[in-house]
Amino acid sequence: MVKTADKIEEEIRAIFSSDTPWVTIVWDDPVNLQTYVVYVFMELFGYSKARATELMLQVHNDGKAIVSTGSREEMEHDVARLHEYGLWATLQRGDQL
Amino acid sequence: MSSTEGFKRHGDHTYVAQFGESEKEVLLNLCEQIIELLAERTDHGHEDPLAAMVGITSHDSPPEDEVLHRLLPNAYADAVDASEFRRYTESTLRAKKQAHAIAMRIHLKSSDDGLVDLDHENANAWLGAMNDIRLALGVRLKVENSSNEHLEILSPDDPLRGVYAVYTWLGWLQESLLSALIDDVDEDEESQLGNS
Repeated sequence: MVKTADKIEEEIRAIFSSDTPWVTIVWDDPVNLQTYVVYVFMELFGYSKARATELMLQVHNDGKAIVSTGSREEMEHDVARLHEYGLWATLQRGDQL
Repeated sequence: MSSTEGFKRHGDHTYVAQFGESEKEVLLNLCEQIIELLAERTDHGHEDPLAAMVGITSHDSPPEDEVLHRLLPNAYADAVDASEFRRYTESTLRAKKQAHAIAMRIHLKSSDDGLVDLDHENANAWLGAMNDIRLALGVRLKVENSSNEHLEILSPDDPLRGVYAVYTWLGWLQESLLSALIDDVDEDEESQLGNS
């Protein structure tokens, strides 16, 4: 498959720029209690109750929310902790949202 | 049979619940099922014992069992990235989930009179374990949205009716622990902000 010039340029840029932000996304789940999701955000990320509630409502209403941003390693750590507590989370590059 | 009033905050960062004998049995049974289910997903066919020692598993694809899949989900939408991440992290995730359920089992087993007394860390283990149990039951009950109409109209002789009752009760129990905990955590947060 021939890559487009844009695609190649994007990959080269990613190689040289180490600061491409990654994001952790939490997806809506019909089982997890709303209060539980708020509590997990407070515990894992140290968010205030107000901030955690705002994010929980975004997950609930929009189906997903970005809950943290950082390096790929940091986001892998966040996703692993969210999985430990049963939240449905994935990570991806912030420029590919 | 006495029925529990759920968790109550008892002094500073202590959370207490009193369970009846049959409630305790139900909870123990559920803990054991989660522990067993996670144990079924053992690593097999390791060629490299060093890899096993540092937690690299032989699994690079998600579990076929729907419940295990929900408990051990993919971390990436991309299949290649997801399997790479799984190989390095799944055994740790399984061990942590088992540790939550084992902690819950120990608290219940070591309580003669059904009284359970949790500190903050143990409360988190209980929340994680109760949530995993609810996720597992939710998959079997096909919980797909918050209304659960198909579950509300189950006939009295449908075995899922009892499962749904346990699922609902466990949600209520989890909620009681959360409401006792959440204000403590928020107060800590505010006092930290105040001190900085």
